[in-house]
Amino acid sequence: MYELLFAGLANVVQVKYLLPLALGTLVGVVGGALPGVTITMTIIVVLPFTFGLDPLQGLAAMTGVYVGGSAGGLVTAVLLGIPGTPSAIATTFDGHPMARNGEPGRALWIGIWASFFGGLLGGIFLIGATGPLARIALEFGPWEFFSLFVLALSMVAGLVEASLLKGLLSGMLGLIVTVMGVDPVLGRERLTLGIPFLAGGVEFLPVLIGVFAFAQIMTEVERMGGAAPLADAIDRAANLAVSHLKVIWEIVSRPLILLWVAFVGVLIGVLPAIGGSAASMMAYDQAKKFSRHPERFGTGTPEGIIASEASNNANVGGSLVTIMAFGIPGDAVTAVMLGALTIHGIQSGPLFISQNTQLAYGMFAAYLLAHPIMVLILALGSRWMLRVTTVPKAALFPVVLVLCVVGAYALNNTMANVYVLLVFGLLGYAMVKTGFPLAPFILGVILGDQIELNLVRSIMTDANPWLFITRPISGGLLFASVASVAFALWQHRRQQAKLSAREGDADF
Amino acid sequence: MPGRDAWAGLAVLAASLVLFGFTFELKDNPLVPVGPGFYPRIVLGITALLAAAVVAAGFLTRRRRPAAAERGIRYGLVAATFAVFGLYVGALPYLGFRVATFAYIAATNAVLDPPRGARDWLRAAALALVATAVIYFAFERYLAVLLPRGRWIGF
Repeated sequence: MYELLFAGLANVVQVKYLLPLALGTLVGVVGGALPGVTITMTIIVVLPFTFGLDPLQGLAAMTGVYVGGSAGGLVTAVLLGIPGTPSAIATTFDGHPMARNGEPGRALWIGIWASFFGGLLGGIFLIGATGPLARIALEFGPWEFFSLFVLALSMVAGLVEASLLKGLLSGMLGLIVTVMGVDPVLGRERLTLGIPFLAGGVEFLPVLIGVFAFAQIMTEVERMGGAAPLADAIDRAANLAVSHLKVIWEIVSRPLILLWVAFVGVLIGVLPAIGGSAASMMAYDQAKKFSRHPERFGTGTPEGIIASEASNNANVGGSLVTIMAFGIPGDAVTAVMLGALTIHGIQSGPLFISQNTQLAYGMFAAYLLAHPIMVLILALGSRWMLRVTTVPKAALFPVVLVLCVVGAYALNNTMANVYVLLVFGLLGYAMVKTGFPLAPFILGVILGDQIELNLVRSIMTDANPWLFITRPISGGLLFASVASVAFALWQHRRQQAKLSAREGDADF
Repeated sequence: MPGRDAWAGLAVLAASLVLFGFTFELKDNPLVPVGPGFYPRIVLGITALLAAAVVAAGFLTRRRRPAAAERGIRYGLVAATFAVFGLYVGALPYLGFRVATFAYIAATNAVLDPPRGARDWLRAAALALVATAVIYFAFERYLAVLLPRGRWIGF
């Protein structure tokens, strides 16, 4: 494994890979620092630029975006009190108070180095766990894959904040998208409603781009015109210089917190479709619970910044494991990366690491190298990032949407994908406005074909439907699926009861 | 009066039932145990059931007054942004990437931040020109992605 990793590192340090990696990390850091622009949107913008590159160049650029974006959000979170990305929300709780207390450099660099160490811990998990997990998945038959995908979908539907019913329905809507087009067994056209561009089925990338880009941009457009309150910003000329050794010691002298929050980040990353924001909030909460001075949280304590930033970067490693070992995206960003792999004719999943060893270890190497590059970019440009936040959205949004059109069009040089982008852009915005979560929908679109294929394969191998339950792994996965829905139902009920109790108290 | 949930549920219920009906037009093949309509029927059936549950929950749940965050939302601006984008997508095959994109970026910029004088119009046009040129050259020249040409103007 180590020889392969060193070979991957030697490969990626070549200029042709290092350049896209560094540019991707830079774009990621800038995108992450821009409030209102998420990592998903940044990676969607970068996607079409990777079409003309070789697979490792494209994936290195995307890995850079992911790592850079996960750290970039902390700059504005610390210095302006506005999280650049949702995963930096918890960083504002202590980062901004510390900066306001006259230590902006310390706050910023604790965040940057915590991201660095958290990311590397996530990397250890990524490199160590992907191979063994993929080997386990290689033992799976169609029954197990079907049950695994059903588990992923039901978990996402249950874990979203909206109602469980809407989460499940959203996942089913995603599956409906995949039944339109061509039947995978006989290759016959089905449910195309006479619409010519549905004849070949709907590709998932234009759907993903449309749903996420429009959902986000239009929710920003809704509120345009109001003055952005930056009154709480730190003086832009403030001194950000610190002793790096001192800051690094502040982090590594708290090894238990660092390891625990990185573990939380990795764990959340492995769960499908839950992103860095959940990881950082949960890690912050854990750090506060385990702290001997929980009362200091929220006033500018270093533990708060370490918890948030180390976990959201460790989350990246966890998300990449599921895509590389099982072909299930850990979040929207890895869903786009899955699309990029498909464009280059590479099938992610259990065979990925054995069939594309050089590419897989190249990705690991790119992930590891993205961290020092991210530190370097932030060291040189964190003050400049504050200027970037002043880019007017009226200028940014049309350019982003044009890049979305180019991304959809360039998939196979047809306007059909652009029409799909528009239709699903409208649907995505409608889903946001009616409170339907997007994550289960997208996972449904991504996994739909595989769910059908494995269901049909298993029935054609043996028509006995009980095999889904009697085969131990398949049965266990289906049981976990039912348990996750039951748990979500219980949790939603409990929340509802709490809300009703609060409303009842308010009536008095 | 039912709320948004109930209407959304009704729309999904209607769509899934219509598609469910269409699955019976799909002919099975005697050589294959699973026909093309088998899986869609399962998916659409479950969707219809879940949608019916959402409708029921929508009717049973007390309708809340719109939250403060819902007030002051500029739906007109959203509709205009979508409309301009729709026109852009419609015009792309006829005007080609360069002309349509220039017009789209300038128009969307003007919709989102209405120009207050000739200088603002000039700025919107300059942004549109630079962005179109950079995207065009980056993709056509360096990334070998052929962007749409206009059927009407051949450009």
